[in-house]
Amino acid sequence: MSLTIVKSCAVGGLAAALFIGTAAPSFAVDQALIEAAKKEGTVVWYSTLIVNQLVRPVAEAFQAKYPGITVKYSRTPAGEMALKLQNEIRANSVQADVFDANSAFFRAMPLENLVEYKPEAAAHYPDDLKDPKGRFTAVNVFTMATGINTNLVAEKDRPKSYEDLLDPKWKGKMAWTTDLTPNGPPGFIGNILVTMGEEKGMAYLEKLAKQDIAKVPASQRVVLDQVIAGQYAIGLMIFNNHTVISAAKGAPTTWLKIEPLISTGNYVGIIKNSPHPNAAKLFEEFILSKEGQTVFQKASYLPADPDVPADDPSLKPKQGGYKATTITNEMALEQLPRWTEIYKKLFP
Amino acid sequence: MTTSTYNDTQDKGGRTKVRPPRIFGILREPVGLVSLLMIVVLALLVVPPILILIQLSFADIADNGAIKGYTLAHYSALFSGAKFFGVLWTTIVFAAFATVISLLFGGILAWLVERTNTPFRRLAYLTAIVSLGTPYVLYVMAWLFLFGRTGPVNQLYHWLTGNTGDLLNVYSLWGMVLIEGFLWSPLVFLLMSATFRMSNAEMEEAARMNGASVWDTIWHISLKLARPAVLALAMFVFIRDIEAFEVPALVGIPGDVKVLTTDIYLAIREFPPNLGHASAFSVIMLILVSVLLYFYGRISKHAERYASVTGKGYRPRPFDLGSARGIAGVIVLFNFAVVLALPLLALFWMALTPFIAPVGWTVMKSVSLANFIVVLTSPSYLSLATNTLIVSITAATGAVLLTAVCGWLAARRKPGGTIVDQLATMPLIFPGIVLGVALLNLSLRSPIPIYGTVWLIGIAYLIRYMPYGMRYSYNGVLQIHKELEEAGVASGAGIWQVLGRVIAPLLSPALVAAWLFIFLISSRELSIAILLAGPNSQVIAVSMFDLWQNGQAGELSALGLLWTLLMVLVASAFYFLERRQSAKTFG
Repeated sequence: MSLTIVKSCAVGGLAAALFIGTAAPSFAVDQALIEAAKKEGTVVWYSTLIVNQLVRPVAEAFQAKYPGITVKYSRTPAGEMALKLQNEIRANSVQADVFDANSAFFRAMPLENLVEYKPEAAAHYPDDLKDPKGRFTAVNVFTMATGINTNLVAEKDRPKSYEDLLDPKWKGKMAWTTDLTPNGPPGFIGNILVTMGEEKGMAYLEKLAKQDIAKVPASQRVVLDQVIAGQYAIGLMIFNNHTVISAAKGAPTTWLKIEPLISTGNYVGIIKNSPHPNAAKLFEEFILSKEGQTVFQKASYLPADPDVPADDPSLKPKQGGYKATTITNEMALEQLPRWTEIYKKLFP
Repeated sequence: MTTSTYNDTQDKGGRTKVRPPRIFGILREPVGLVSLLMIVVLALLVVPPILILIQLSFADIADNGAIKGYTLAHYSALFSGAKFFGVLWTTIVFAAFATVISLLFGGILAWLVERTNTPFRRLAYLTAIVSLGTPYVLYVMAWLFLFGRTGPVNQLYHWLTGNTGDLLNVYSLWGMVLIEGFLWSPLVFLLMSATFRMSNAEMEEAARMNGASVWDTIWHISLKLARPAVLALAMFVFIRDIEAFEVPALVGIPGDVKVLTTDIYLAIREFPPNLGHASAFSVIMLILVSVLLYFYGRISKHAERYASVTGKGYRPRPFDLGSARGIAGVIVLFNFAVVLALPLLALFWMALTPFIAPVGWTVMKSVSLANFIVVLTSPSYLSLATNTLIVSITAATGAVLLTAVCGWLAARRKPGGTIVDQLATMPLIFPGIVLGVALLNLSLRSPIPIYGTVWLIGIAYLIRYMPYGMRYSYNGVLQIHKELEEAGVASGAGIWQVLGRVIAPLLSPALVAAWLFIFLISSRELSIAILLAGPNSQVIAVSMFDLWQNGQAGELSALGLLWTLLMVLVASAFYFLERRQSAKTFG
């Protein structure tokens, strides 16, 4: 289930492309692709994004742009989505065309099951957000931060470094999700090991394990809600945009720039032998286009398109002026099992 | 095995025939054909998921989910270290205490409502029905809010005592026991009140006339008479608590309390989902619960001997509680407050506030109906509600039709009745997610294109809730005297006529209760729906899980409250229609 969290930004450039000419940048979606997609009439999207914040708005925007092509979606946490797709593929009865999920999902979905398609809309995306062969492209990114309850953590007490989290006064007052993805404890562990080095990193984690961090069996958003409600003072591995959204509604919360923060991605891809291959490509182009990426921006997510800023620009590392360890999909695929093992051993 | 009067009279020669050996007997008698039919139907529903579960528990699963070989590794991993037995022990403690709370709470209430002149009787029914219609996730969320560190209970405690510590830590084994206990007390209440309503009050009245006090009568007569029913029910609830999934996950994991199902939950959440480990754990649970089911079967058999309803008419006189009436009223009100009013108020509070906040004046400023408006104006919820109603009605109707016949076969000890009972009760042991994976596997291979449709979810719920239907109809049949069936047969009725025109009308109160129960409870099940729902078969449960997972507690609460309201309206309409129908039947 962990993939749930992944919703972020990808959509930028292509939509604009679709506007064939006019205000749009240099490229346009091939008319032949549009025609082929219209003939298929439907695209089925398995998503880990939140339905009313992103899935429905993206679907509506796509349908408005391409009348005659219906977006059918099924919102499923990533773990269940992996089970479903694995079974569909094995039974030779693939129902989904396109999906989005975070890196952990790809552990259960070998890349050979994915269509190699390099979306034009993402041509200008940095290399660490996409597969060289086009099997996945980041649709949105996340910054994982430390979220606090500002009533419970006084200004002067706010942790400034990872070492500060070891202070005995936080014992039993911190929480994180049980999400075993780069957005959960494994990502935290990876960041520590990458930043501090193996030996110092492990020593740090062993000390952290003694702080009795509560495990919340739900998403990072729920962890933050419990921090806001005062059940815990500090939430680790919190999406920084969530604290901003809640603070805007008056909730006593903010995110801390304990550096380096962690940057991860949510990726789109197309399943091989899917029922509507052309509509899938058109949809991927759309969600990665400026138009699509704007939907993510409006929902207060961090668009993957480097040219589309977050609605609060300081949430992204570059504009926000903070350092972050980027956990790429390749890195996650390689290291996630190890980080997960360390988590299970140290935080049983 | 005794030959039933019914079977003997089927002999065309009109003589009493010597009973043939059982196996052949099944086929020779018309009732045997019915048994066989039921066994086949049940086996088709129940056996494939079990086989898949067992297969997965030995499977060496590749990253892409394919089975690449077989291994004992999942089992050896379970038993390595002392952890397994520690977890097993916690599970038993959790289930046992939660069962005791459900039984005490639901049982006392049922007795008060059915047998005494306690005030507020209707409130008890309302409480049971509404709380059954509220999804678990919401219910548990409300409890965690109420008893959480900053919840109203601890707030009140801080305010009263000036202490800053917590009165109680809900994220603990005892928190789990309490919540699980409350969660199932409505089921106990409904099943027990049926028992108390139908049982004969003559003995109680005799005791009273001979000068026994109210408490003596309760202790020596009411409880003794109800004992088999209570024991059978206790076993049933205990099994249900062993396989409980929501409370151990939502309360136990943050509190670091592990039970058997926690491990299944966590294994499924790994990447890739560790189905082998989860299945091995489930198989162990299957064995554990099968042993319990065996004892359960033995207790249920004894239950028949205690049946006190005869052909004679009677009208139980409610106990006059006298001065204790006030105390009884307080108990009913307490139940209403704890099981219904407080959780619903907590949900209401969460639905009105933009983020989860402690109850207080400062937050009052931001209270709004925005969450309700979002739910009511969102077009997608309409189709979700329609799908969900289709699923719930299919599951409830299918399960009741099936278990009405099965319950009769089992309760009347017809040939094959025991097998029928075992098969129909077995699904009690599948963790929802395991049943989901099994059906996912099966439906994708099925020649009928059922994958991704609402019918698949309906079938999953039918399988899952069949055991509950079985309990209702089995107990219902026990209370109907055989002579009525025999009269039907003597007048020339065939087996389907007897079932349809004699048993069904008489059994209707039990069947209606079963239908309502399954209808209400099937929209509570989230884990199955998440695996099986496709783009064309989204149900409310998926939305609720989505909202819960993503921390949209406000909208979730609003949706949950509105949904509960709808369920209660549907349930009440159904109940009202049935009452009228039943009034016609019973005169």
